[in-house]
Amino acid sequence: MSAETTGEKSLDEVMGGTFRDISIPPRPEILDLIGREMRQEWPDFKKLAGYISADVGLSASLIKTVNSPFFGFRARAKTVTQALTMLGLEVSARAVAGLILRKVFGDTPNLERFWDSSAAVARWGGWVVQQIGVRDQTRSEDAYTFGLFRDCGMPVLMRKFSTYHATLALANGDSERRFTSIEEEHHPTNHAMVGCLLAQSWWLPEETCLAIRHHHDYVSLQLASEGLPPASRRLISVAQFAEHIHQQVTGLCLTREWDKMGEACLQVLGLDESDAEKLVEAAKEERLDEES
Amino acid sequence: MNSSGIDALTGFLDRQACLRAVTRLAEHAQRDSRPLTALWLNLDRFNKVNESFGLSGGDTLIAQMAERMREKVRNRAHMARMGSDEFILLVTDCNEDISQGFAGEILQLIRQPLELGSIRLHPTGSIGVAVLDYNESPVSLIERAGRAMVEAKRQGGNRFVLSGEEQQPGRLGVMLAREELEVESKLHRALELGGLYLHYQPIIRLDGRVEAVEALMRCDVDGEMVPPVKFIPVAEKTGLVVRLGEWSLMQAARQAKELDDSGFPTKVAVNVSRAQLTAPKFAQALHAALLCTDVLPSLIELEITESLFMDVSELVQLNLRAAINAGVSLAIDDFGTGYSCLATLKDIPASKLKIDRAFIISLPHDGRVFSVVKAITQLGRELGMTVVAEGVETEEQLNALKAAGVDAIQGFYYSKPIGGNSLMEWLQQRSLP
Repeated sequence: MSAETTGEKSLDEVMGGTFRDISIPPRPEILDLIGREMRQEWPDFKKLAGYISADVGLSASLIKTVNSPFFGFRARAKTVTQALTMLGLEVSARAVAGLILRKVFGDTPNLERFWDSSAAVARWGGWVVQQIGVRDQTRSEDAYTFGLFRDCGMPVLMRKFSTYHATLALANGDSERRFTSIEEEHHPTNHAMVGCLLAQSWWLPEETCLAIRHHHDYVSLQLASEGLPPASRRLISVAQFAEHIHQQVTGLCLTREWDKMGEACLQVLGLDESDAEKLVEAAKEERLDEES
Repeated sequence: MNSSGIDALTGFLDRQACLRAVTRLAEHAQRDSRPLTALWLNLDRFNKVNESFGLSGGDTLIAQMAERMREKVRNRAHMARMGSDEFILLVTDCNEDISQGFAGEILQLIRQPLELGSIRLHPTGSIGVAVLDYNESPVSLIERAGRAMVEAKRQGGNRFVLSGEEQQPGRLGVMLAREELEVESKLHRALELGGLYLHYQPIIRLDGRVEAVEALMRCDVDGEMVPPVKFIPVAEKTGLVVRLGEWSLMQAARQAKELDDSGFPTKVAVNVSRAQLTAPKFAQALHAALLCTDVLPSLIELEITESLFMDVSELVQLNLRAAINAGVSLAIDDFGTGYSCLATLKDIPASKLKIDRAFIISLPHDGRVFSVVKAITQLGRELGMTVVAEGVETEEQLNALKAAGVDAIQGFYYSKPIGGNSLMEWLQQRSLP
C-alpha cells in the first residue's frame, strides 16, 4: 500500500517500530504441498485437507473465509474438505497463501495496521470487480489476493533498511515521479520487485506477479504495447481504484498515486469520472471497512 | 579407442564406431538433459570428381577435406566417415543456434579451392542438421540429419538445412509449433503450480572440500518431467527465461540460506542468461532475492558464459558491476567453447573459470586437449581465478585434471545433480568423521 493511514498514526510511524524482527518465509511448505497435489491429474481433496488441518489456526481461518459474505455461499462449510470443495482448488490455494501472509503480517506487533490497510484494498478490490463485472479473467477473488500481496515487499525492505520509512514518506508525497524510482534512488531495489519475487516463489499466478511488479508503472499501464498482460493491467487498476475508494471512504489520503495513475486506471476499467464517482458514493454506503 | 573403428583414409571414426559413438553420446545427452547435434555432410558433385580423376583423385579430395575439418573442428565434434563422401559430425552441448553457425563454418571450409592435378576445384557441400529430441533414438537422429542433407542437396547444395525446416514443412512444421506451445503452456503451469525446482550438483576441490554447488532447473508438470533441453529454448523464445532466471535466483538463495542456517555454509551457483543480463531490472531482482531470503551475498555465485562477459554494451557491464557490488561472486561458465578474446579476459571481474565439458570428454587420451586444458588452467590461476573442470566422469579424467592443475571438479564422478533434501543429507554425511 502506498502509505495508507492507520487511524491515529501514519503508516510511516507505525512502520518505524519493531518489525525488523519479522521474517517472511521464502515459501511456506504448505504451498508446495498444495501445489504438488494440484499438479496431479486427480488431486486428492482429502490429502489436501489433511495438510491444511495439520495447522489448526489455518483450518479455522480457511473455513471462516469460505463462510464470509465475500464469497456469498448459501451453504456453510464446517470442515476443511467442504471449504476446499466449495472454493475449488485454485481459489483455495490463493486463499491459503493470503491467510499465511496475514499470519506473517497480522500477528506481528506494529504490522497489524499495515496488514489492515492491505486487507482493505483487497476487500474493496473484490467489491469493485463485483460491481463492474469480470473481464480479462480478473475475478473478484483474484483482485482480493492481489490486494493482499501488492505491497508485501514493503515489510521486507523495512526490515533491511532503517531509512526505508523516510523513503516511503518521500515517495508518497511525490506527484510526478514513479514511486519505485524514488525507492531506487535510496535503496538497491524497490518493493514492487521484492513483492513480485516473493509472490512468484509462493506460486501465485503469473498475471498477479507481473501486476505486483508493475503496480506503480503508469507507462506499462497506459500502453498495451509495453507487453503487460490485460489481466495484470486490470488487477493494477482495480487495486488502485480500491485504494482510492478506501481513502475516500475513510477520508484519509496520504498518497499521490491516484493523481498519477487514476486516469489510466479508469481507462483500463472502462469507467469515466462520473462512473467512478458513483461507485465511490455507493462504496460509502457499503461500510466494508468495518469488516474484519 | 578401438583401432578397427578408424577409417583408414581420413583417420575419422568409421561407420560402426560412429553408430557406437552416437548411441553413447545420446545416452549422456538425455541423462544430463544437454543438447546433442548431428550434422550429416555430403560433398556436392563428388561423382564427377571420381569420373574425371579416378578413385584415387576422389580419395585425395576426401583426405584433404578431412584434414581441413580435423584442423578446424578438433575438440568441438566427434567426426566420422560413413562411406564414400559422407561424413557425420556429432557435437555435444550444441543447440540449434550454435549448430547453424557451426554448419556455416564447415561449408566455408569446404568451399576453399584446391588443386587436383592441374585443375583448380571449387568444392561445395550440403549439410543436414538435427538436434536430438527428448527420448529420440540415436538412429532416428542420424536419419533426420540425413533427410535434411538430402533436402539441402535438392535446394541446390552448398547450404545447410535444419531437420524440421525442410521446404513444405507440412505436418512436421505444424507439429513443432504445437509442441512449442505445449511446452510453453507447461512452463506457465509449472510457474503457478509449483512444478519448478532446482537440483544441485556439487563442485569438489581436489583437497576434498566442497567448493560450491551448481543449481540446475528442473520442470515437472502433470507427473511428467519436461527436460531442460526442451523448456529452455522455449523459455528463451518467449521471454519467460527472465522470470525463470529470477525464480532460480530466489530459490538458490533460499537454499543457500537454509544450508547456512543448518551449519553447512555452501556457495550456491546459479546460471544467469543473456536475457536476464540484458534486462534493465537485473540488479533490482538480484537484490530483491538477496533481501527476501536474507542470505549472505558471498554464498551466491552467478555463472555467466564468456561471451556475455565480452559484451561491451553499457547495460550488461552495468549489471555485472551491480552484481559485484551486491557482494555475489561471478564465474565464467563453459569456458573455451565461445569466442573469447584473451586480451579482455584479464578485465573480467570473475573469480572462477569453468572449463567446458567438451574438453574433458577427450581426456586423458588426447594429448593436445590435455595441453589446452593445462594452459587454460594456468591462465585462469595466473589471473587469480579458481579453475573448475565440468563434466568429469571417470577416474582417468580426474587424474589428468589433477596433473593439469585444476582446483576443483564437477561431474558424475563425484555426484549427479541431486534435490535440495538429498543435498543436505549428502553434506551431513560428508561432515561425519
